[in-house]
Amino acid sequence: MLEVEDLAVSYGGTTALAGVAISVKEREAVCVVGPNGAGKSTLLAAIAGGVPPKRGRIRFDGKELVGMRAENIARLGISLVPEGRHVFGTLTVEENLFIGTYATSDRRYAQSDAEQLLGYFPRLKERWRQPAGRLSGGEQQMLVIARALMTRPRLVMVDEPSLGLAPKIVDTIYATLLALRAERGLTLLVNEQSSDRMLKFSERIYVLRNGRILLHGNTADLQDGEAITRAYFGFDEHHAPATSEAAA
Amino acid sequence: MINFAQTFIDALSLGSLYALAALGIGLLFGILRLINFAYGDLITLGAYALIIPSTEAVATLFIGGWPWFMVIIAVAVIVVAAALLSDLLVFRHIRRADPATLMIASFAVSFVIQNLILMFYGSRPKSVDLWSNLNYQIAMGGLRIPLLQIVTILATLVLMGGLTLLLKRTALGIQMRAAAEDFRMARYLGVRGNLVIGLAFAISGVLAAVASLLLLSQTGTLSQTLGVPLMLFAFIATVVGGMGSLIGAATGGFAVAFASVFLQAYLPDDLRPFRDSFVFGIVILMLLLRPSGLVPTKALVERV
Repeated sequence: MLEVEDLAVSYGGTTALAGVAISVKEREAVCVVGPNGAGKSTLLAAIAGGVPPKRGRIRFDGKELVGMRAENIARLGISLVPEGRHVFGTLTVEENLFIGTYATSDRRYAQSDAEQLLGYFPRLKERWRQPAGRLSGGEQQMLVIARALMTRPRLVMVDEPSLGLAPKIVDTIYATLLALRAERGLTLLVNEQSSDRMLKFSERIYVLRNGRILLHGNTADLQDGEAITRAYFGFDEHHAPATSEAAA
Repeated sequence: MINFAQTFIDALSLGSLYALAALGIGLLFGILRLINFAYGDLITLGAYALIIPSTEAVATLFIGGWPWFMVIIAVAVIVVAAALLSDLLVFRHIRRADPATLMIASFAVSFVIQNLILMFYGSRPKSVDLWSNLNYQIAMGGLRIPLLQIVTILATLVLMGGLTLLLKRTALGIQMRAAAEDFRMARYLGVRGNLVIGLAFAISGVLAAVASLLLLSQTGTLSQTLGVPLMLFAFIATVVGGMGSLIGAATGGFAVAFASVFLQAYLPDDLRPFRDSFVFGIVILMLLLRPSGLVPTKALVERV
């Protein structure tokens, strides 16, 4: 469904991605794991058309995305939930939720889609007419995921959904993503810094570090986490932190 | 008391004009981070569109001689076209540039428009009699209110109401507000960047057109820098109000006008010539106390 080949992106003189290749099949859940600054966010932003690549190819259903505008990529059925939530703070929860339906999906479904999503996130219903800027971090994360799904995407990319959230809320969010995936046949591409959730959540994992893919494999084959840990912290580092929290 | 009421209405009317122009500037800044110094020249252009292009000293009315609603529509169409053209020829090509670059480009657009006006209309100021019956004064319990002030205030109320409805109640308006807050995120959700930007230019053009008609009815004289002082005060108004907030832009417009008109009325005679220094002094003080303006916006804080 999605094929990224030799993707390179730089900001000014700094290289963020140095020739990355990944692929995602229809209905798969794939995770990109890596430390802060590895280039995970850049990878998703480049696929969504938010940053222009220096070279490389990004194909979705065989269609080249490089050079396309972000809004047209969204219309093809790719939805990005960027890191840091990005709710429209002065717009109400309702306005935030429907914004994507004006442009992308058939508006006939908007109302029933919203009701279905509010079933997963009942908290949003209680806050319906409030400015989204007043929601708590967890509620904002729920809102941006619901908002992304309102565009009826086939591929949903989520950038660090657990960043800055309580573990219990993160559990809810992942459970909902999996439930929605089953219900709608979604394909998921998710970035994470910590790999333990990924092992439960995904079918395949890529480890990204310093703008390169260092490891890639089926989640089932990587269950002990040793290889991921080594790739994550770099093969050459002798004093890799060994605390279970960081490595798990 | 009569004196105070008279001054108050003067300030309200001047504030309306500032608010109109400040909204036009604020709208473009909100979505594009463009501080458009060519905005004053769009206002000038709207006024010049009323007469037949010629370098003669005497102005011959063209559009200006039509019925009033036709004048409004025709001038709005011309100014909106010019605003869209400035986007198409200049700003569209530097979308990703930083705000300083955009601002300098707007200076260039401003010079081009001013010199085109010089080329086609000559450099001599021309007196134009637009809607002079609006200078009729209505006497009301000791107050004398020029009809033009009432028209200015009403026109501003109508436009502000219309703009509010558009932004709050229509799908396009909600997309514009989203784009003003987080342009990239809006595009990730399928909002067409060029559509909302074009709409912002068009609305700012309508506001400039109305401002130019009101301004010309007031001054009665065309010059190639007609709109520049209004643009400067409107720009100050958006800074005072809080860059990036439309409510702030309108509030700032009224605040600057009230400061200016009341200082004019109540400063001692010898200090009156320095009124603007006092106005700007107040602006500086206010910015020292509230650097992000009367109505600060989160969107701006995040981006800068």
